[in-house]
Amino acid sequence: MTFAAFRGEMYKIVRRPAVWVSIGTLLLLAALIGYALLWFVFTHPPAGSEQGLPPGARLSDAKVALYPANLVRETLSMWGDLGGVFALILGVLVQGSEFGWGTVKTLYTQRSGRLAMLAGKMGSLAVMVLVMVLALFAVDAAGSLVVATIDGKSTTFPAIGVIARGIGACYLIFGFWALLGVCLSTLFRQSAMAIGLGLAYGLVVERLIFGLLAILGGTTIPSIQQWFPITNTTYLVQSFGSNGGVRVGTTATAAVPFADATHATAVLILYVAVFALVTAWLSRTRDVTA
Amino acid sequence: MSIVAIPLGVPAARLAMDGSNIPGDRVVQTRGLTKHYGQIVAVDGLDLNVYRGEVYGFLGPNGAGKTTTLRMLLGLIKPTSGTATVVGSAPGTPASLIRTGAIVETPAFYPYMTGYDNLRLLAIFCGVPIERVAATLDEVELTPRAKHKFSTYSMGMKQRLGIAAALLKEPELLILDEPTNGLDPQGMADVRNLIISLGKGHRTVLISSHLLSEVEQMCTRIGVIRKGKLVAEGTIEELRGATALTVRATPAEGARRVLEAEIGADNVKVVDEGTFSLRVDLKRAAAINRRLVESGIEVNDLHANERSLEDIFIELTGEVGGL
Repeated sequence: MTFAAFRGEMYKIVRRPAVWVSIGTLLLLAALIGYALLWFVFTHPPAGSEQGLPPGARLSDAKVALYPANLVRETLSMWGDLGGVFALILGVLVQGSEFGWGTVKTLYTQRSGRLAMLAGKMGSLAVMVLVMVLALFAVDAAGSLVVATIDGKSTTFPAIGVIARGIGACYLIFGFWALLGVCLSTLFRQSAMAIGLGLAYGLVVERLIFGLLAILGGTTIPSIQQWFPITNTTYLVQSFGSNGGVRVGTTATAAVPFADATHATAVLILYVAVFALVTAWLSRTRDVTA
Repeated sequence: MSIVAIPLGVPAARLAMDGSNIPGDRVVQTRGLTKHYGQIVAVDGLDLNVYRGEVYGFLGPNGAGKTTTLRMLLGLIKPTSGTATVVGSAPGTPASLIRTGAIVETPAFYPYMTGYDNLRLLAIFCGVPIERVAATLDEVELTPRAKHKFSTYSMGMKQRLGIAAALLKEPELLILDEPTNGLDPQGMADVRNLIISLGKGHRTVLISSHLLSEVEQMCTRIGVIRKGKLVAEGTIEELRGATALTVRATPAEGARRVLEAEIGADNVKVVDEGTFSLRVDLKRAAAINRRLVESGIEVNDLHANERSLEDIFIELTGEVGGL
C-alpha cells in the first residue's frame, strides 16, 4: 500500500507545473548567475572594482572557482543555502498545498493509512529533491566546462568520489530544507506561514541570533551553535574546502570551524529524522476538519 | 414483533424491527460515539445503525454534528469516546476505506490536473483498474470534460467528479455529505436518481442533507440529529406517526359528544370551536361521518391530516429545514 501511495504521489508531483518552475528557476539562476554573470564580471571587471583586494590580487583570479576542478566547492558554496530555499519551497508545495486545497481528506479516505500516505509523499519528495540536486550539478558541470573552454583552461573534473560526496552533501542539505518545509506546512496546515517562517529562520534568525551572541565571546555560545542546523549546513559546505583566490558570490557565513563533516552530517540527519517524525506524529494524530 | 415508531420529541430509542424491516446486517454501527472540542460537545453519545442495502438519511440543522459524525466514520476525526464499526472494521483503516466511497462537504481535488487524471490518481491509490476511471466518468456524465483541468470545472461538475471518485472503488458503502450542494435543479434530479439507483441492491448509502424533500424521495430510513444527539430514527412513515383526521362540524358541543362516544375522549382533540383533530385509523372516516350525520350533526369538512417531513423536522429540532 505504501508503494501505491508512492506511485500516486509521483503521478501527482511530476504533473505539477509549480514543481518544475521551482527546479527550473534554480537551474536558470545557477547557469546565469553562477557562471555567465560571474564569468563576465571577472573577465570584464568594472573600473575601480579591484580596489580593496589584497596586494597583487586581481578579480580575474576568482575565475578559478568557475572551472571544472572546483565544481563541487563552487556548487555547494554558491547554492548550499540559496538552493535550499528552492528545496524548502518544494517541500511546502508537496505538503502545504494539500491543506490549501482540502485534498488531505481526499488522500486519507482512499485506501492506505495516514502513515503509508505520508511515506509515499516523502518518497516522491526524496526523488524530486534528488532530481533537483543532480540537475544542479549537471548545469554547473556544463557551465564550468563552457567557461574553461572559453578561457582555454583545464577541463578536468574532480575525482568521481569527490563529486559523489558533493552530491551527497548537497542532497542532505536540500533534504533538510525540504523536510523543514514539509514539517512547517503540517504544523501550520498551510503554505504561506511555512514558507515565511522557513525562510526567516533559514536565512536570518539563526545567523542573527548567533551573530549577536558572538559579541559575548567565550566558548559556550559556539558549543551551543554547533547543534543548530544552518550552522551545520555551512560546516558541511566548508568541509569541501574554500576556493582559492577572491571569494565572491557565496552566502555562507563564517561559521566557527570546529566541527567536521561527520559532525555536520550527523546533526543534519538528526534534524531530517526529527522533522520526519514530527510530521508523522502530527499527520497521524490530528483531526482533519477542513 | 411489529414496528414501533419512535415517539416524537422523545429521546431516540432503538426501533424494534422484525425481519422484514431489517434490510441486512449492520454496515455502520456506532455506540456512544462522542466528540468534544474543548467544552463544546459536537457529537454526544450517538448510537447509529445503518443496515445493508438501505439509503439512510442523516438529517439535522447546521452545527448539529452531522459532518463531524461522518468524518468520524471515515477516520478523519478521532472520537473522544465511543466506538464505531464501518463495513466490519474500525473507521479509517484500510479494510474499511477500501469498501467505502465518500464525499465530505465540498469535493477536493488537484486543480492543476484534469478530471481524468484526478480519478486516475485515486485509482492508483486504491489499486483500482485504470479502466474503471473512464467508466465512472461516464456514469456521472463527465466524459466530455474529462480532459479539462479541475480548476475550470463548475460547482456542479466538481460535485459530479466527487461522486465519480466515491464510486470508483465500487464500494459497499457510500457516505455522501450534502451531495447535491451547488447543483442546478436538473443536476440535483440527476444525482437524486443516481443515489436512488445506487441504493438498490446490496449497496448502502448514508447521506446527510438539509433538503428534506430530497431526503423524502431518496431515503428508506432517516435519523435526525440535534445538538449532537440522535433524537429520532425510523422510516418516514414511522416518524410521521399516526395520521390524524380533521373534522369540522356543527353544533360543536353535539359533535364532540358523538365523537367521544364513537372513538373515546382521549382520541378527540378540540382544535377550535367546531373543529376536532381525531387520532384514529383513517379507515374509520366513513363510519364516523355516518354516525355524525345520523345524530343530526352537520359535517362541514372531514379530511386526513398528514404531517410533512418538514413538520417533523421542525418539531424535532426546533428549526426550519432547508427547501
